Amino acid sequence: MDFTRRDFLKLSVIAGGALTVSSGLYLPRIFAADKELGPLPGIDVGGLIRPPGALPEREFRSKCISCGVCVNVCRVMKYDAIAIAGLRDLRNFGTPYIKEMRDFPCYLCMECPKHCPTGALQKIEKEKVTMGMALIDFGLCFGWNGDICLSCSKACPLGALVFDFHHGTWGNQPYINEKCVGCGLCVRYCPLGGSAVKVVTRSQYAIVKEDYLIKFKRLMAMPDEERYAVVYGQNLPEIIARGRLLEREHR
Amino acid sequence: MTKIGRYFKVKLSKLRRFVLLGIIILFLLQFFGVKALVGGLTGSVAVWFVKLIDVFAYFESLIASKDFTMTAFWAVLPAIALYLIFGRAFCGWVCPMDFLYEIVNRIKDKRQGSGVGSQKKTIADKISPKIGYVVAMLLIVISALISIPFFTNYISHLTNFFRTLTGGVFLALDLPVEPVVVVYSLSVITALLVLEYIYPRLWCRALCPVGKTYGLFNKVSLLKLKFVEGECGECNLCEQMCYMNVKIARNIDRPGLRDTNCIYCGRCVEGCETKGKLIKLSLKRVKEL
Ligand code: SF4
Ligand code: SF4
Ligand code: SF4
Ligand code: SF4
Repeated sequence: MDFTRRDFLKLSVIAGGALTVSSGLYLPRIFAADKELGPLPGIDVGGLIRPPGALPEREFRSKCISCGVCVNVCRVMKYDAIAIAGLRDLRNFGTPYIKEMRDFPCYLCMECPKHCPTGALQKIEKEKVTMGMALIDFGLCFGWNGDICLSCSKACPLGALVFDFHHGTWGNQPYINEKCVGCGLCVRYCPLGGSAVKVVTRSQYAIVKEDYLIKFKRLMAMPDEERYAVVYGQNLPEIIARGRLLEREHR
Repeated sequence: MTKIGRYFKVKLSKLRRFVLLGIIILFLLQFFGVKALVGGLTGSVAVWFVKLIDVFAYFESLIASKDFTMTAFWAVLPAIALYLIFGRAFCGWVCPMDFLYEIVNRIKDKRQGSGVGSQKKTIADKISPKIGYVVAMLLIVISALISIPFFTNYISHLTNFFRTLTGGVFLALDLPVEPVVVVYSLSVITALLVLEYIYPRLWCRALCPVGKTYGLFNKVSLLKLKFVEGECGECNLCEQMCYMNVKIARNIDRPGLRDTNCIYCGRCVEGCETKGKLIKLSLKRVKEL
């Protein structure tokens, strides 16, 4: 064999070096836990938010070949919403998901399901998409704390179909019903620092739904004095703090 | 030289690099918003209209999901049609690894001062190419068991090559991406290049299930090696030029050859040009083949 031990050692050193350098550069970014500035810190996203039209999770996984068509279609459309899943969840490595709804939500252009060659993403109508379910953090939302905002409902491609409104002395309060498809546009356009809306997977919603509804009903039935204490004592300081945070992020 | 080659006055080895580069450039253009070829060589969309899927990836996806769909079938049909014509030419003309491997071997030759024909045999040459079918079957079984297209998602050189590109572009533009994806995919490609340095073409000849699948098409494809009747100088240049270990010289008195390992790179044709000009790549019907 003309390949000597020394060659091999040298080569391994080069390859190893290249890998260490590249992973050294990225390690901090790989393991940096996402700073928890998001809404509803008690509720986990509950998995990967798939692009629209995805089959149920198991079938989706067994079909997707990680070809990257959806990722690049979304990039060609200039929405850049789809990322490729990393090694945190080995089973789902290489599969597409919507990573940063605060910056890159899905615009429901429905081009990726049209072009997925395996049928892991299926062509369906916008209204029938089930990427996830958006939950509003009532403690952070401007509307629920004495303001008139409704940015989320204006951004939502399904608008009035999805949004219920409760108007009152405490503000123009938006509520997202179960027709929400989970595209995340509302997350993007919520003006609160870190957004007051969070999109969770449908399966996660099934788990937290009861709790969330109880909290919502309690809030609706809350006497004015108690509400006053909550809004001024708790929510507004937090909202202002996040406003500063947003400013800093921009800078 | 083939007819096309003669027409343009380029050597086959140049022509196939033009083809490869052309295809890679079309794929790269997607990052600038051009809709010519979007995706990668495991799956793609051509001109924003024709879905394409790699044949082995199709089988893995089919077996893993245990579900036949027309969507995927329509995507694999054009690929099948293409390879019914050109056989395993994919490997010699389209696969980016073939090009990267050539660079690796150039570097190796330069460092060790050996010429083209003198690629010494390693133990890897003793490994039967048939082992690839066992590997491919195994991968299919694994895919069925874990319900994930296993090779295509984790190991495939094609997936990882294009995942590195896409991931790299996303990283560079600060778009949503997990850097670990790029690190992983780049590592797989690096590992394959190191393997190539140690055991030249072991991957392509014996292991790669993508190539093995296209190899089966060689048995029926239109494209094949055609041998012209004439005096063979027994220089054996053809076999020395072939890095896929196809046994050409001993078959030269037959009308042609369909070998599952032939990637129609045309190096044997070029080798023979110095002497007999007996070998051709041919799309025409050849009797008794
Ligand atoms: S286009 Fe389909 S098969 Fe390809 S990565 Fe996206 S979901 Fe998976
Ligand atoms: S529907 Fe459009 S915006 Fe949404 S993920 Fe697919 S390509 Fe991107
Ligand atoms: S409520 Fe938000 S996530 Fe739901 S459909 Fe509307 S914009 Fe999309
Ligand atoms: S055998 Fe595999 S790696 Fe080699 S050229 Fe063919 S597809 Fe590419």
